[in-house]
Amino acid sequence: MSSNKIVLTSSDGESFEVEEVVARKLQIVGHMLEDDCVINEIPLQNVTGDILSMVIEYCKTHVDEEESEEAQTKLKTWDEEFMKKFDIKTLLQIILAANYLNVKGLLDLVSQTIADTIKDYTPEQIREVFGVENDYTEEEEAEVRKENAWAFDEADTPKP
Amino acid sequence: MSFPARSSVDRNGEEPPVKKKKTSQVLPQTPQLYPILPLPDDLVLSCLARVSRSYYPTLSLVNKSFRSLLASPELYETRSILGRTESCLYVCLRLPPDFNTSWFILCRRPNRTQKKKKKNSNGSLLIPIPSLQSPPAHSSGLVAVGSNIYNIGGGPMEDTPSSTVSVLDCKSHAWCEAPNMLVERKHPASNVVDGKIYVAGGCEECNSSNWMEVFDSKTQTWELVSCPLAEQCESRIDKSAVVEGEIFMLGDKGVAYKPNEDRWEAIGPLSDFDLGWGWLSYSVIDNVLFCYRNLDGITWYDSKIGNWLNLKGLKGLPKFADYSRVKLADHGGKMAILWDKYVPSSGYENKMIWCAVIALERHNSQEIWGRVEWLDAVLTVPKTYKFVCALSVTV
Repeated sequence: MSSNKIVLTSSDGESFEVEEVVARKLQIVGHMLEDDCVINEIPLQNVTGDILSMVIEYCKTHVDEEESEEAQTKLKTWDEEFMKKFDIKTLLQIILAANYLNVKGLLDLVSQTIADTIKDYTPEQIREVFGVENDYTEEEEAEVRKENAWAFDEADTPKP
Repeated sequence: MSFPARSSVDRNGEEPPVKKKKTSQVLPQTPQLYPILPLPDDLVLSCLARVSRSYYPTLSLVNKSFRSLLASPELYETRSILGRTESCLYVCLRLPPDFNTSWFILCRRPNRTQKKKKKNSNGSLLIPIPSLQSPPAHSSGLVAVGSNIYNIGGGPMEDTPSSTVSVLDCKSHAWCEAPNMLVERKHPASNVVDGKIYVAGGCEECNSSNWMEVFDSKTQTWELVSCPLAEQCESRIDKSAVVEGEIFMLGDKGVAYKPNEDRWEAIGPLSDFDLGWGWLSYSVIDNVLFCYRNLDGITWYDSKIGNWLNLKGLKGLPKFADYSRVKLADHGGKMAILWDKYVPSSGYENKMIWCAVIALERHNSQEIWGRVEWLDAVLTVPKTYKFVCALSVTV
């Protein structure tokens, strides 16, 4: 593989020099390189340096996707540990970045991590995290709560 | 929002190639609050599709757009593309005072309390499907095909023969009509082989030409299946099941039909097979017929030796009361077992329905072991309730 270096620059002006093979893990970069072969600096407008550095860390680790079971297990463990570093808000920024930069593996990984996180959230927490409004009217909300009393009721269960 | 400057993460030693721009416009400027980023729908779908479906009822409470997203064809398509379809248990009950048919889904309570989880519990409970008006149903007329539940011969009156067929779409939770059967039937035996529904018996005057018909869900058409064993074509079928592509139907007489080979066989009533097969609580899981009876507990039929054997293991599963109604269901290759028990604190007016999921392991040709994965009290009901059916769909 070529050891050509590419400079990726974030929206807030941070620059990262990476191997071309790593940069190509960002499909958005891969396409640019194919379209125009003499780029070595690429501005990435929709991602901050903070998030971009995490995406690059992921891409560096995943640069050689080996087939062997051992390597796969090792990567999986790395993925799990990597994801543990982030809170939900950061995860949401990473998923947007992975989507914009088109890094499929990371997109899948973050989607799964967000899924595992939000499943135990209350409706209120989810509204906050996703920035969505509660658009049920008061009556509808009362009705929904009545129909779904189980979700709000933490009554102790009897013994079998 | 700005992040502290990083010392040198692969930073090019030379001057930065692009002028430093302050903050992208998508992020709000308040540094103390993390930005709340509304995600585009396809990313929300990508996350929600990866959440187990048993959490969807709680997620639906977020707001209307979440609720419609969670019932949308796009979401279920994403689940299917990602290989995230799963088995979901549906339970049909009739509750006083009017004993209308009500459908419930097994779902999981979000694990948001820090309370220590009870041993063996996974926080499951049965919740009613909201705003669903369901037609009357009889257990023998209910079958699952993919993500649909078919209610065959179920209406409009509970106990009169009918050719009506209705379908519950378990993605959107709406009933719709399917083409009527060719023959009116009361409590017919309904079984699924290769996605086709074989319906038998229940007709007023059964004969070899009208006794059975088959529905092809792909072409949405009914077709009569001629049964050469006219003698065996009894109207009443007490129990029926499909094992290895063969439909076994037993009443006062018995018949087995293998559609792929168009092979019919009379099977003896009062055989060991018949006598050991409790007609109230049974289910086929992974091509093995299991049944529950008070005296024997959970047994399975070993067709090689022609005998019923006990399901071994089952550590942690309580002994059910003699009065308990017990139902078995295939739950994605595992066994779901539901039973009820009086709630003394209600003055014995209510019953608690319990549910356990049991993983099945075949140790050798004559031993199947059951390992209880979890058990939970899933629903309180008035004691006079009727348990119609429990079955799993794939969504």
